Amino acid sequence: MFELLAQTSLNAIYAASYISLVAVGLVLIFGVMGVINFAHGELFMAGSYVVVALYADRMVPFFVAVAAGLIFVGLLGLLMERALFRPLRDNPLGGLVASIGFLMVLQALAVLGFGVRMEHIPPVTQDVIRFADKISIPVARVYVIVTAFVMLSALWYFLKRTRFGWALRASAQDPEAAALQGISVTQTAMIAMFIGAGFAGMAGALTAPLISINPHMGHSVIITAFIVIIVGGVGSLEGAVLASVVYAFVHTFVTTFFDGVLADITGLALMLIVLIVKPTGLFGSADRA
Amino acid sequence: MLLELRDISVNYGKISAIRNISIGVPEGQIVTIIGGNGAGKTTTLRAMSGMLPLQGGEIYFDGKRVDGMAPHKIVAHGIAHVPEGRRIFPDMTVEENLRTGAFLRKDKDKIEADLEDVFNRFPRLRERRRQRAQTMSGGEQQMLAIGRALMSDPRVLLMDEPSMGLAPVIVEEIAVIIEEINQRGLSVVLVEQNAVLALELANYAYVLETGNMALEGPASELHDNEHVRAAYLGL
Ligand SMILES: Nc1ncnc2c1ncn2[C@@H]1O[C@H](COP(=O)(O)OP(=O)(O)OP(=O)(O)O)[C@@H](O)[C@H]1O
Ligand SMILES: [Mg+2]
Repeated sequence: MFELLAQTSLNAIYAASYISLVAVGLVLIFGVMGVINFAHGELFMAGSYVVVALYADRMVPFFVAVAAGLIFVGLLGLLMERALFRPLRDNPLGGLVASIGFLMVLQALAVLGFGVRMEHIPPVTQDVIRFADKISIPVARVYVIVTAFVMLSALWYFLKRTRFGWALRASAQDPEAAALQGISVTQTAMIAMFIGAGFAGMAGALTAPLISINPHMGHSVIITAFIVIIVGGVGSLEGAVLASVVYAFVHTFVTTFFDGVLADITGLALMLIVLIVKPTGLFGSADRA
Repeated sequence: MLLELRDISVNYGKISAIRNISIGVPEGQIVTIIGGNGAGKTTTLRAMSGMLPLQGGEIYFDGKRVDGMAPHKIVAHGIAHVPEGRRIFPDMTVEENLRTGAFLRKDKDKIEADLEDVFNRFPRLRERRRQRAQTMSGGEQQMLAIGRALMSDPRVLLMDEPSMGLAPVIVEEIAVIIEEINQRGLSVVLVEQNAVLALELANYAYVLETGNMALEGPASELHDNEHVRAAYLGL
């Protein structure tokens, strides 16, 4: 029994790490842009396809492909900011609708470029770290966990300790007051979009060798991310990370001990319970990033 | 004139909020704009810091035309704005709020000196420097908003109803601070509904009524004006 608990916990930590990357990006974009980015799951998908195109098809080293995924999807974020969210700055509902349109465009491009079939790409490494007879973790998953941890720490440092990080938080809390301090709200919006989208792309790129990739994979990603940020408290980055951990543990344990469908239902139920009992989220107050 | 508004008009959509307003702020002086609710005081101030587009007219700062510039560019020229309702960053600490005020500055040593200066001027901010700004009292938040504006090392300070919602002792404290800041050479544009306070502090005063300039003159003269006494001083 102990082995099973330990093994399931390791699996949950893996899930929590990439879910956090996605959810934190979504929260950051919401905080600074005031827009709920429905295309976030497709940004994840785009990151996976960068790894398909570079690592699987062109033999580019895996971590180079992951970095390319981060940058390419970050640039997609900049494109969204410039083409969609900037013209719609005073219209959050318009931004949301535009992001749904962008989602469909990305899906269509993925179908055009790669077809509708599932992609399975060669493993990065077959190595497994074995802690005990029935407790082990594939090194490919360790890569995901370590990278997520490093990137989230870097983001935390950026937001709390650097001048532009403060500017980002100030714009999230009060864009007009931020402008009065000399902060260019357009510039902070671009930074938020690059980081937010880039993190989603990186999560998709990192996990690409471990999941099945198809143009519609974004759906389940965005649903998970929505559950997580609602549970965590919509404006809170720390809440998003903590809620990712909670969600990943609940989901992984229910999947292991019961089944996957029940795990999805449990996740949704968790969100509903939080909405009823504490509408501001488990870790959030009414504040934003 | 350090700051000069020439004949400016501002609309919200089709509705005109202020019409043909001209205001001059001489270097080193306190100029006040008084008027009742909805007279257009905040609109005038927001136009000065670039947050509202002009329908007509021009704004000059230190001889340079600044209307049409983005707010973050105008701050760089030396115009700091303490907005109506304080608008501090609620989730940031007191110190982070203050340092955000210095966002555009590169002179590290001078920033530290100015921070020390703000803390000396507002000892309560020093005590609470690691506290989240949201958790502070109204008066402390107002002091933080003033301190944040000072951190940009401005030449003119625009203040929108700094006395609003504060107890009389705190208002008195803020009045003293405004005088001190001004004595250091900073020009001040003070928007107030509290006309008694404003006319006491200012060198020169403008009276706005429903978007039009009704009266202007040296503050001491307006203080003795029949209309001002009846409408704004309750005498
Ligand atoms: N965002 C807005 N949209 C439309 N009309 C506005 C807006 N802001 C202000 N107004 C209108 O413009 C006029 C001037 O408002 P303003 O806020 O400048 O007055 P004020 O003198 O600052 O008043 P108060 O003392 O109450 O703050 C008012 O009629 C107000 O209703
Ligand atoms: Mg006002």
